[in-house]
Amino acid sequence: MDSTSITMEATAARAVGATKVYGSGETRVCALDGVTAEFERGRFTAIMGPSGSGKSTLMHCLAGLDTLTEGRVFIGDTDLSTLSERKLTLLRRDKVGFVFQAFNLVPTLTAIENITLPMDLAGRDPDREWLDNVIDTVGLRDRLTHRPSELSGGQQQRVAVSRALASNPEIIFADEPTGNLDSTSGAEVLDFMRHAVDELGQTIVMVTHDPVAAAHADRAVFLVDGRIVDEMADPTAELVLDEMKLLSRR
Amino acid sequence: MFRLTLRNLLHKKIRFAFTTGIVVIGVTFVVGVFALTDSIRSSFDDLASDIESGIDLTVRVPLQIGDELDRVRVPQEVADRVAAVPGVARVDGRIVARNTSVIDDNGEPIAPRGPPTLGSSWFPTQFFVVDGRPPDGPDEFAINSKAATAHDLVVGNTYDISGPNEQRSFRLVGIYNFGDPDKDKSLAASAVAFDTATAQEFLNGGEGFNEVSVAIEPGADRATVQQAVADVVGSEYEVVDQSAKIEETQADFGQFISIFGNVLLAFALIGVFVSAFIINNVFQIVLGQRVRELGLLRAIGATGRQVSRSVIGEAALVGFLSTVIGLVAGLGLARLLRIMLKSGGFALPDGPIGLRPRTVVFAVVVGMGVTLVSSILPALRARRISPMAALSDTAKLAKGSLATRARIGGLMVSIGAVLLGLGLFGGFDTKPLLFFISVGAIMVFIGTTVLSPVSASQVARHIGWPLQKVFGVPGKLARENAARSPRRTSSTAGALMIGLALVSMAGVVGQSIKETFAGTIDNSVRADYFIQSASGGFDPNVGFSAEVVDRLAALPELDLIVGYRFGLDSIDVNGSTKNVFTTDFAAGVSHMDPDVLSGSIADADPLGSILLHKDPARDLQVTVGDTLVVGFPDGEVEALTVAAIYADSTIYDNYVIDNAMWDRHFNRSELMFATATISGYSDSLPDDEKTALLASSAAAIEKVTDSYPTVTVENRVQFRETQQARLDSFLIVISVFLGLALFIALVGISITLALSVFERTREIGLLRAVGLTRRQLRRSVRWEAAIVSVFGALLGVALGLIFGIAAAIAIPDTAIKSVAIPWRNLVIYVIVAAVAGLIAAILPARRAAKMNILEAIATE
Repeated sequence: MDSTSITMEATAARAVGATKVYGSGETRVCALDGVTAEFERGRFTAIMGPSGSGKSTLMHCLAGLDTLTEGRVFIGDTDLSTLSERKLTLLRRDKVGFVFQAFNLVPTLTAIENITLPMDLAGRDPDREWLDNVIDTVGLRDRLTHRPSELSGGQQQRVAVSRALASNPEIIFADEPTGNLDSTSGAEVLDFMRHAVDELGQTIVMVTHDPVAAAHADRAVFLVDGRIVDEMADPTAELVLDEMKLLSRR
Repeated sequence: MFRLTLRNLLHKKIRFAFTTGIVVIGVTFVVGVFALTDSIRSSFDDLASDIESGIDLTVRVPLQIGDELDRVRVPQEVADRVAAVPGVARVDGRIVARNTSVIDDNGEPIAPRGPPTLGSSWFPTQFFVVDGRPPDGPDEFAINSKAATAHDLVVGNTYDISGPNEQRSFRLVGIYNFGDPDKDKSLAASAVAFDTATAQEFLNGGEGFNEVSVAIEPGADRATVQQAVADVVGSEYEVVDQSAKIEETQADFGQFISIFGNVLLAFALIGVFVSAFIINNVFQIVLGQRVRELGLLRAIGATGRQVSRSVIGEAALVGFLSTVIGLVAGLGLARLLRIMLKSGGFALPDGPIGLRPRTVVFAVVVGMGVTLVSSILPALRARRISPMAALSDTAKLAKGSLATRARIGGLMVSIGAVLLGLGLFGGFDTKPLLFFISVGAIMVFIGTTVLSPVSASQVARHIGWPLQKVFGVPGKLARENAARSPRRTSSTAGALMIGLALVSMAGVVGQSIKETFAGTIDNSVRADYFIQSASGGFDPNVGFSAEVVDRLAALPELDLIVGYRFGLDSIDVNGSTKNVFTTDFAAGVSHMDPDVLSGSIADADPLGSILLHKDPARDLQVTVGDTLVVGFPDGEVEALTVAAIYADSTIYDNYVIDNAMWDRHFNRSELMFATATISGYSDSLPDDEKTALLASSAAAIEKVTDSYPTVTVENRVQFRETQQARLDSFLIVISVFLGLALFIALVGISITLALSVFERTREIGLLRAVGLTRRQLRRSVRWEAAIVSVFGALLGVALGLIFGIAAAIAIPDTAIKSVAIPWRNLVIYVIVAAVAGLIAAILPARRAAKMNILEAIATE
């Protein structure tokens, strides 16, 4: 019992026998095939895999954006499968942060308005000190009143990460956050995420197929055909690349 | 390329349905109005032929001005001379009168609204007995079967008939079909017939005929006989052949139908105009969404011309389809309109409803024209799309600059305002005044339309400010979304603006008329009772017999009775035809004071004077004591002395003669209305005495009017209320018609919003992902619509105010003396617009909330 409760506390999110099936009969596709995984608090995890491996689906289900066909997912100790659509939305708002590959920001809102959006939606005042901390870390203080169209792609992604951080969530999910960026901007964003984990104690789960991006993580999980096939602690770009080559030959 | 255009339409079914639907609405209304008026017109054309059937020639006294019934009578002797002409088979002297109502068993007069209540002599060639026999004798009558059926009249029973001169009892001896042995073709009129001698005595109060109908022997040469008849009757009379008479009657009916049709058409065109706004908007938005797709076409080798042709081709297809659907739907609408108008009290004939070539042409012009014109600008923009657009993430259509807009719009509004000001305060004559005002108003309107995108963002932010305060993020999103594309917001709002401008303008004009009328009653009307026809109010063709007035005058409870008449276009003053109003010079002023500026009415010679309002007095440059030469319908001309000039034309209109003068020159004796004062009554009496006098006089009057159901008597308070209620119901009718424009505008808001929501799919997905609840999302879409609606409503109300005030000033003093503004209603219009916007947003909001977050985020 003890060990379970410790695990619970140390786990920001976990999946138990997560299965997701699309379609039926001839067109039946099994995107997730009984995935069981845990994502520890204060760690930076990369979910790797070739396209079609189910890594995005896994993230979407963990984040409450999509529902499972079978199995369960937890954010903290909340079982997402028991939640109504509305409760799920509130959970995303209050407990989860998001960074998408592109189009992360609401074009009509300024950078700072985008950052505080989840809190504004909840009608909560942001924690000033924490917010200042996040803004300092991202280093965009002089651009806060700009609209997204006035920011570069890298700046936009950093604002998006700030938004994910701003409400001090349980866990942050990032879906190919550097996929649309050049390598310099991408490195900036990844450094910022690394920093958020180390300095601010955040938990980040990042889906990527880029070994360089994965090298910023504490741990890499490899998915193929909807199953976890391997994982690696303290990945480096070379090790991940080798592993990917290996997996693609299977 | 054409195949691509077609594919495009089929693929975007919803968009296609929306645009087509909007155009269909416009086409449908135009077609419906044309089909309905055509149907009514052809029914009346048929009626005109029926009225003249079997009548080859008509002999009558020529009439230059005035009512048909004012013709000098043709004596029996002339009819006899005509009968002796070789080739004449048959001669019938005809007597016709209006305001002849049978009072049915419930004590209700047969008085359909609109169609006349005719009394006539028996026309053997056109009346076909279906029950009983023709009337023969001084106490017998017959009636057309439609009226008899509608009011359960039974042959053999005795009924009271209220005629133009008096009310009397007659026995119903026959029921007939008009125009056809098997079918009563009298449309909705009630037509009572007597034998000739009775008709002369009861309807016309004397000898002679309104006209003499002649049938020519078969085989005789018409022209020869016509000439022979003309020779026999002499130049005092005119001889008209059948086709000329039919044309004349059709023209008479046509006048009424044209007014009716033009009013309906005006509303239909407003509808088309509003839909043009929306179609244009939709094309712009849709094209904006297709920039990348069109860029791809350019990249793989389509020329700019091909791209713009494809856009226009799409519009042409939409226009064509809408025209076809609109033609069919219009026929249905015509039927629906007829049912609605009939249930609203208009007696319309049930003729067949069909399409004339002109209707089809108009439908094509509206349907194809509106869509093609709306697509020209977007198509030109599409031509300029670069192939690079296919690759760019943020490709947008080129747009004209807002600064240019501001300059052009500002200039137009300024010029319009100057013209309006010149018209209103420049002291011009009527014609240049109307020119300045109307051109000024149009320029202000167009200028505002051009200008509104310039201010749309700021205004939308201001309107949305309280929403953000109250609703937080959803309010903020609504506000920013309404402000983000000013062109879209303002053209969406523009559709609403038109409708509200018209409603507000009608409101200002209506309120001004109401208050002017109330002011007149309060300030210048001293009479205690008003006696009017129960059915007609102030319809110049509806009146009642003076007999009632004589009976009331005999009551000791009442002091004085004054009768009033009105002749539409009935006198000639200096070569132009004018309306004429009558009163008793001696007593009239004590009942209704027209605010005499110079001269005296009470001392004027009833048979040698005329009274003038100050405006025509100014135009004619006459003062009291001058002489005016006045022509009358009987052909006589008299030199009348201007006895007084007055300032208040609300009731008296512009030219007033005495009743005695009317009796000398006019055949009709019906009164339009009458007023009475109570014996011994004065406003300075103690209240209880006043109440007692009112009660006793009311009881006395009721005893008399109980037997005259064609007449209503109202005291001052009641009179004021019914007149205002009549105006109110008129305003309501206008509002209902303009409701159509509002409806189209709301559909437009709904469509624009749906397209905007679609355009923002990814953004919505993101917002939902980071925690915007469905309810918050729906709320933000709804409030966005409310902001756009309020923007349009404010613009519309502001324009309506300006136009209404301008119109109120331009309208003659007869109707409006001072401008009154219905503030409360204007506020209600804005609130209604906001609520309507919320309703229009329900579907788009629901669509937005139903979006799958993952798919939304993944949308390109």
